[in-house]
Amino acid sequence: MDSQGLVFNSVSFLFCFLPAALLLYYIVPGRVKNAVLLLESIVFYCWGGVRFLPLIMILVAVNYLFGLLLPRLRGKAMRRICLIVPVVVSAAALVFFKYTNFLIDTINQIASANLSELDFLDLLPLGISYYVFKLISYMADVYTGKTEPERNPVTFAAYVLLFPQIMIGPIVKYRDLAPALHTYKKRYTLDQIQAGAEMFVFGLAKKVLLADSIGALWTDLLATDIGLANVSTPLAWMGIIAYSLQLYFDFAGYSEMSNGLSKMMGFDCPVNFDLPYISTSITEFWRRWHISLSSWFRDYVYIPLGGNRLGLPRQLLNMLVVWALTGIWHGANWNFICWGLYYFVLLTIEKTFLLKYLKKGHIWPRIYTLFFVVLGWGIFTANLPGAPLPLLMRKLFVPSGGISPVYYLRNYGVLLILGAVCSTALPGKVWQWAQKHTVVRLILVGVTMLLSVAFVVASTNNTPLYANF
Amino acid sequence: MKYVYRAQKNSKRQSYPVLILFFALLFGFTILNFFWPKRQISELENRMLAQMPKLEWSSLLDGSWTSDFSEYLQDQVAFRDTWIDLQSDVKALAFQNVEQNGILLGSDHWLFTKLFGTPSTAQLDKNTNAVAEFAQKYPGRVTFLLAPSASVIYPEELPVGAPMVDENALLDQVFETVSASADVIDMRQVYPEHKEEYLYYRTDHHWTTHGAYLAYEQFCALKGLTPFDPSAEQAVEVPDFYGTHYSATRFWNAEPDTITYYSLDNPMTIYQLTGEASFEPVETVQLMDPDKLETQDKYGAFLHGNNGYSVIEGDGEGSILVVKDSYGNCFVPYLTKNYAKIGVVDFRDFHYGLDTTIEKEGYDQILILYNFQTFMSDRDVINLIRPSTLQ
Repeated sequence: MDSQGLVFNSVSFLFCFLPAALLLYYIVPGRVKNAVLLLESIVFYCWGGVRFLPLIMILVAVNYLFGLLLPRLRGKAMRRICLIVPVVVSAAALVFFKYTNFLIDTINQIASANLSELDFLDLLPLGISYYVFKLISYMADVYTGKTEPERNPVTFAAYVLLFPQIMIGPIVKYRDLAPALHTYKKRYTLDQIQAGAEMFVFGLAKKVLLADSIGALWTDLLATDIGLANVSTPLAWMGIIAYSLQLYFDFAGYSEMSNGLSKMMGFDCPVNFDLPYISTSITEFWRRWHISLSSWFRDYVYIPLGGNRLGLPRQLLNMLVVWALTGIWHGANWNFICWGLYYFVLLTIEKTFLLKYLKKGHIWPRIYTLFFVVLGWGIFTANLPGAPLPLLMRKLFVPSGGISPVYYLRNYGVLLILGAVCSTALPGKVWQWAQKHTVVRLILVGVTMLLSVAFVVASTNNTPLYANF
Repeated sequence: MKYVYRAQKNSKRQSYPVLILFFALLFGFTILNFFWPKRQISELENRMLAQMPKLEWSSLLDGSWTSDFSEYLQDQVAFRDTWIDLQSDVKALAFQNVEQNGILLGSDHWLFTKLFGTPSTAQLDKNTNAVAEFAQKYPGRVTFLLAPSASVIYPEELPVGAPMVDENALLDQVFETVSASADVIDMRQVYPEHKEEYLYYRTDHHWTTHGAYLAYEQFCALKGLTPFDPSAEQAVEVPDFYGTHYSATRFWNAEPDTITYYSLDNPMTIYQLTGEASFEPVETVQLMDPDKLETQDKYGAFLHGNNGYSVIEGDGEGSILVVKDSYGNCFVPYLTKNYAKIGVVDFRDFHYGLDTTIEKEGYDQILILYNFQTFMSDRDVINLIRPSTLQ
């Protein structure tokens, strides 16, 4: 029944899978590395059972074959068909496994029909939201000639199943990984492995020290004995701020672990989170938050639709499509669609007139951005039991009494401050300074690693929030 | 220009201290972990630890083997207790958390059960009505003793602003309903005057032997009995008791409790239930289990823990049946001074109604003794009014 697979923040990954996988990968000869990587990724993927392996293998095979076929075709129509077929197959798999029950439910509500939901779709195939996007980007890049198709099926499968990325991304393009995948001698340097290890340790700390500890506040408020309906307005704000910090450290930490692992194996991946909470506009926020996803939508939806080249009305329509899709990508639920459209509205306002004022300000644009981002997470979390949107909005904006924030300030105050500080550029600056002081660096990495392991051992495994999207 | 030179100089000196540290910790700990002795139970956590799962094809394919294996690695990890202590210390000292695993870290070394907000009272209402209904069937014979939580007596020791349940209001309601048909003992009228005394353990969720004694005095006053005289008996003190609250928090600043008990030679027979009102003796023992006093779970020494049905031979007259949770375990020994036969029922291992047992064993008095937190959530209290299955 356990379908969550192997998470990085577990004893079994840290002290069983990871050392074995790294050791094996490092000692085998260069020509075999991709095969070993694929094998390790399959073991990782099947940790929670083999039930989802056939699907990913079929999709890998389809995209691999069409990728090979595409450049050999001459006619424009044939080439187009050769692009559309695998893209539609991959996207259809995603839509079927992720949205069928949502559609059935919606039809039932609208037409008062009585269609029964499909039970076998209760579990989302592991990582499907991420690997389908990888596959689509590959086919599109082959079609536009941005990359050569991959001839070796093992290498291609290793790219798609790459264990650091298979569960929660980031969605790294084939063309970013292809050079390393085809390097058989000196794929990685010791510098790279060291930098990767550092990234992994700090990512782990973000996940287990910060995200899990801060997130307890929001979970506490939603629990039935407290209940959002009983909290005071200041406490509701504290709760939603804590949730915002949790979501960031959870996902950014996991991405950093993933990129660190990739780097240790010789794959330099683009950074996925670049201090999003210091943004001075919503536009900037989306250039810093989940960068691999927003750039995927930019490259494979927004620009192909015409981007900003076909006049403002068409540009707004393209943005609407992108944000509706971004919303629903996060889950088969209305709140995610609303959340996507909320950003469409904000970005339209910025694009049409607000952005030039934001550029002149210093402090208020940050406050403005944070306010709307935090509010956005309120919409985002509205599918959780106990956090219906109307109730949350009433609690946030109609001042009301109830359980006071005093106890929660006492219990979570330090963590909230720590979280806020770690959302800024300050820790990065300290780390930069530490580059020149080996002892400081050793202490920072060593202590962070020991504390993180303590939290991993002492907690029952906390699956990252973004694994469900 | 100066900066350029310095950068070049640095890049020549190639060593990888962080990499060496990372790999040393990663591989070193993995190897150590592999050879680390495996344990059956964790006494501190008071639970069985996962063991190496048996390898089978079916469990491997559906993912249950890897899930069990992950749990095994998590449970058997080297220095497990030390890691957990370290996490607890970071939370308490660095993060300044005042709660861990559902336990509040109060002042003066107090640890309290976290019971927040307005939880559902459905079970509490059911249990209250069951006691009241039961008592109606035995007029004048039922006493109901519901011990308040330590946090009701020592609210000033709670972390600041803790939004605790309004236990006082709930207790008022319970006592009001039950007092219509039974005698009730409400310790909130006695404990405040004895606040400076040792009423509750700080590291455990139970009351102390002394806290129970004050309740016992109330019971004697109610029934017109002469209470057990503690000064006339030999009291034994067992130091270094770290109870359940400590196990949950591993709070660095916890102070060990001391358990006191009286060494009495009344025999207790523990029975096994073979059906409704049908018992088979398992063993006859002393009231205290000396082996348990050597373990982490020292409170479990009283009455040898929670047995479904046991009978104690007392030195007094008449008989009494005590229906209790674990709060009863250190209370019951006092009753040996007043009754000739003391039956003890714990519904966790007694899944029948009581009427047939009362009739068959001939109990004159019935004492229902719980603490508020068990009584609020326990699903077995309603066994009190379970109809007999015997004709």
